Amino acid sequence: MSTVSETISRGQPARRLRIDGWRWGGRAFLVFMLLYTALPMIWMLLTSIKSGFAAMQFPPQWWPDQPTLASYQKLLDPQNSVGQDFLRFFWNSLIVSTATTILSVIVAVPAAYAFSRFTFPGRNFLFFAVLLRNMFPAVIFLVPLFILMRAIGLVNTHGSLVLTYLTFGLPLAIWLLKGFYDNIPVQLEQAARIDGATRFQAFILIVMPLSAPGIIATAIYSFIGAWNEYIYAYTFLSKNEQLTLPVGIQRFFSENTTDFPGLMAASFMMSVPVVVLFLLLQRYFVRALTEGAVKH
Amino acid sequence: MAHVVLKDLVKTYGSFKAVNEVSLTINDGEFVALVGPSGCGKTTTLNLVAGLTSATSGDIFIGDRVVNDLDPKDRDIAMVFQNYALYPQKSVYMNLAFPLQMRKLPKGEIDRKVREAARVLDMTQLLERKPRELSGGQQQRVALGRALVRDPAVFLMDEPLSNLDAKLRVQMRSEIKRFHQDLKATIIYVTHDQLEAVTMADRMAVMNGGYLQQYDSPAQVFAHPANMFVASFVGSPAMSLIPLEASMGNGGAVLTSAEGWSLELSPRNAQKVARATTKKVVLGARHSTIKLHKSAVPGAIPAKAYTVEPTGDVTFVQALLSGAIVNISVSPNIAVTPDEQIWLEFDQERMHLFDSETEMALEAN
Repeated sequence: MSTVSETISRGQPARRLRIDGWRWGGRAFLVFMLLYTALPMIWMLLTSIKSGFAAMQFPPQWWPDQPTLASYQKLLDPQNSVGQDFLRFFWNSLIVSTATTILSVIVAVPAAYAFSRFTFPGRNFLFFAVLLRNMFPAVIFLVPLFILMRAIGLVNTHGSLVLTYLTFGLPLAIWLLKGFYDNIPVQLEQAARIDGATRFQAFILIVMPLSAPGIIATAIYSFIGAWNEYIYAYTFLSKNEQLTLPVGIQRFFSENTTDFPGLMAASFMMSVPVVVLFLLLQRYFVRALTEGAVKH
Repeated sequence: MAHVVLKDLVKTYGSFKAVNEVSLTINDGEFVALVGPSGCGKTTTLNLVAGLTSATSGDIFIGDRVVNDLDPKDRDIAMVFQNYALYPQKSVYMNLAFPLQMRKLPKGEIDRKVREAARVLDMTQLLERKPRELSGGQQQRVALGRALVRDPAVFLMDEPLSNLDAKLRVQMRSEIKRFHQDLKATIIYVTHDQLEAVTMADRMAVMNGGYLQQYDSPAQVFAHPANMFVASFVGSPAMSLIPLEASMGNGGAVLTSAEGWSLELSPRNAQKVARATTKKVVLGARHSTIKLHKSAVPGAIPAKAYTVEPTGDVTFVQALLSGAIVNISVSPNIAVTPDEQIWLEFDQERMHLFDSETEMALEAN
């Protein structure tokens, strides 16, 4: 016994100490990617707590001498015009994104379920037709959709954005969810139906809870897409009180001289909901994207 | 409990006939196995009874009701699935309670029935666990429990044992059999494993290609297979089927092989051969009805040993005979080596004869 354990304990560190070029290359790459993604965020955060003068200094102040929350106070203060605008844009974005999210879940869940479980004429054609939209860059649809929205009187309404974002978000949402439903054994529903549930009850009571991770992933995806969208919001909306955050921030701060700390503070606050959402629900998101990769 | 009648049941998918004019009567309290190779229509037949698919034509009776157009939930059935189909998000307790909740039983009664089922299946200590925290055998038991809490008219079981390892399968096999004896339940049990059907069922329905081949007690199916398919499907190792040529003469009959040897038939077997539509008949013999001799014996046929498989209790010898592989079981103290010259003696009382055109068994008178 002792000889066996000895050989093992002697063999182990030798293997671990072996210099493995691939592994170190991988680590270096990950560190690089980490810096690549994190540094701009850090710089955004640092700039947002500088004074306007400090932000423009050269050489730059790597760490603000006199950190201040003045920009945040200004943006979140409903008493002054800057704060009023920012909060309104924030609210508009929230409404548009939330509406898009709710609608896309409401449409995608039954659509994906139908694609997964039922056979009907034109099923394959429809399923790929759903993807057709995603084969073209979004800007191609900008002018046609604008003309369409004008024709049905939706220009300068949030509805025009919600509709547009749905057409962009739904295809992937449906595909994502279909993969999820494909992975839920049909026997579970059959068992539920034999156990006394109607088809609809089987779906609500058994399938829905199991597909919750997929639905959450779909929701995050729709929300982020709508929250960050710029071009359509910029084209469809022209009234100041309706603007969403991406457009609002841009217009608002480039009118005279750019207030960089203010811009960065607004950008930071804009990224907060997305980051929080993602951190809270990321495990579902990852699960949804890898679901079906391995057989359970 | 109730009886189940299938009448001229047909299910087609496009031009593919999955189930073809199947008629079966399953008595109240009877354990019937639907058995056949994959794709034979047995699972489709079960799904038709369950109401998970709808029949193209034909009728299904459960008790005295025609259930063709009823939803699964209204058919008063319970089903055990091959993959158990336990609700993964629910605890064992909630899995067992679900069929009762769906039927809107009062809470107290649900609790009583769930605990009773758990006690019967000896899993009271598992009630709070989730299905993924259970072993395969325990999951199987929960699936069984979920079927029996409700006291349905018919139990449907779709290959319930095939996901278990060999040892557990044998154990659960006897548990399900015991369960049937205790409950006097009507059970329709689908399996591809003829051994399960033979060991558990009161009657077995052998299916192939969507057609019902034979429906009888396992003993009858084993002793009197209706056709060549049933003969080769039921029993392990499979019955050996040897194609031969029959010639009649002066009251008797002789089977001749292209290899040159011939076998004189008993009067009763000669009678059977006389009823064949063709001269080409197939001789069927189970491994235990063939005697192996190491030297020439009158009536025995020369053959060459091909492979030898000792299993401990018995040794199986495969021999090549007239182009067919013949299985023979011998006592382990008889040493046979591959390529050795052997002589085979067929038991005329227990041999089977088939018409090679119709593939049907030939019977005397």
